[in-house]
Amino acid sequence: MKKIEDLNYYELLEISTDASSQDIHRAYERIRKTYEPNSIALYSLFSADETASINQRIEDAYRTLVYEEPRKRYDALLRQNLMTPAPVALPPVEKRYQMQPVQPSLSLEADNRYLKSTEPPPAPPVTTTPQPLPPTITEFTGSVLKMLREQRNITTRAIADMTKLSTRYVDFIEAENFGKLPARPYLRGFLVLYAKALGYEPERLANDYMKRYDAAMNPPKQK
Amino acid sequence: MIELQDALRKKEIWAIGGGKGGIGKSLITGNIGITLARLKKRVLLVDADLGGANLHTTLGIGVPEMTLSDFLNRRVETIQEVIIKTSIPNLSLVSGAQDFLDAANPNFAQKARLLRHLETLDADYILLDLGAGTSFNILDFFLFADHGILVVLPEPTAIENAYRFIKSAFYRRFKRIVTGQNIKDLIDAAMDQKNSMGIRTPYDLIERIKQLDPESGDALEIEMMKFRPKLVVNQVRTKNDIQIGFSMKSACQKYFGINLEYLGYVEYDDCVWQSIRSKRPLTVEYPYSRPARCIERIVHNVLRKEQLAASMLY
Repeated sequence: MKKIEDLNYYELLEISTDASSQDIHRAYERIRKTYEPNSIALYSLFSADETASINQRIEDAYRTLVYEEPRKRYDALLRQNLMTPAPVALPPVEKRYQMQPVQPSLSLEADNRYLKSTEPPPAPPVTTTPQPLPPTITEFTGSVLKMLREQRNITTRAIADMTKLSTRYVDFIEAENFGKLPARPYLRGFLVLYAKALGYEPERLANDYMKRYDAAMNPPKQK
Repeated sequence: MIELQDALRKKEIWAIGGGKGGIGKSLITGNIGITLARLKKRVLLVDADLGGANLHTTLGIGVPEMTLSDFLNRRVETIQEVIIKTSIPNLSLVSGAQDFLDAANPNFAQKARLLRHLETLDADYILLDLGAGTSFNILDFFLFADHGILVVLPEPTAIENAYRFIKSAFYRRFKRIVTGQNIKDLIDAAMDQKNSMGIRTPYDLIERIKQLDPESGDALEIEMMKFRPKLVVNQVRTKNDIQIGFSMKSACQKYFGINLEYLGYVEYDDCVWQSIRSKRPLTVEYPYSRPARCIERIVHNVLRKEQLAASMLY
């Protein structure tokens, strides 16, 4: 029996440790619906503050488990924690919103209970706020998306699982194969999902991309 | 289906409660009873709503001559004498008390006698229709049953009462298994949500008890795992309403550490209202309606020891 704060990410999302990324995504959708702030199923149990902190943990859990690399690292920490029942408590690392977006890892929460002092410092935790763009990038193009994705070690498969698009469309988006992409409004929706999966501001990304799409698909008329 | 039930020969007692009034407890109890009776099981419905009995009305029976209060007040010797046959084969009824004001609060001896007599009855299933509220009588009947079924509506008021009911029920259960007076007192104090010891959730309580008496703490933890109330969401109108059952299950697990089993839901339909108005049971009047089907599913889930899977929503 565990308190809600002591649940590991798998327990929090109510999934087994060998859940597929699709399972994780579904569990996340479900659990987020369960703990949304105005869910009447929580009425009289959890205060607004408690609900907020549960939601933050759910986000952390999802962002850690849904990406291959952070998940592997988290699994390793969990295993280590199982073998050493008394985890060394580290002083709290205050790192909440300090982001380094180009760093390949998106997540791995700063969960100090699982860290031993010999461990490398935890990667910056993911927040729900959109990440700033790396300064070298001025515009979201297909190739930039591909680069950002690869930096995080996310496969197109994982993106497809998260966004429920097919991998073909993920490839088309990245290759800017505009002719093969669906009609404008659908494409925009796809881009918003893609942006959310990568953790960037959906509006900005979709606008940039649509500008390029429009330029290619409707070239200005020759006068 | 029949073979499966032959395996479950033993008599079972199901209690249907929920804390709040007017959420369909009697309606669901009556129709679960009819559904079981149709499966060729001998079913006895007991209207244990001692203050506001109306199970007989949902079955279309007028005010009965013999009621539970005749038994409680020893005007008859055995409970057999207050059992009424219904028009449905295999289904009989012990109607709730009508007259006595104090019948709503039977004393310990009366309650014990009732439960003792229920145990000796020759039936396959005994369904207890509990009243509203979280009085000790209601909680005791709920805890006594093999299956405790909670009914809620997808509304904050009903959900709040359901959680209060769950909490009251297992604190009462805790209190019965611990022996030390100091721990009993602690549980009483913890029932007060605003207690000064900072015990807000059952986890806090168990942790505190473990400090005082590790043995009792462990026993309670086991007890908590064994306590598996079941949930029915009534008057479901949308997919989100169905989702509420899963959400409550998750919240219950995370907040109380209690496994709530989501048995099923009953869809909202005017035919329920029509059947109540015509004083004819839903599953008799509209056996193929969606709410009647929902009740069948609930019965089958209890019999097969199954529950709804969240994957049904995808």
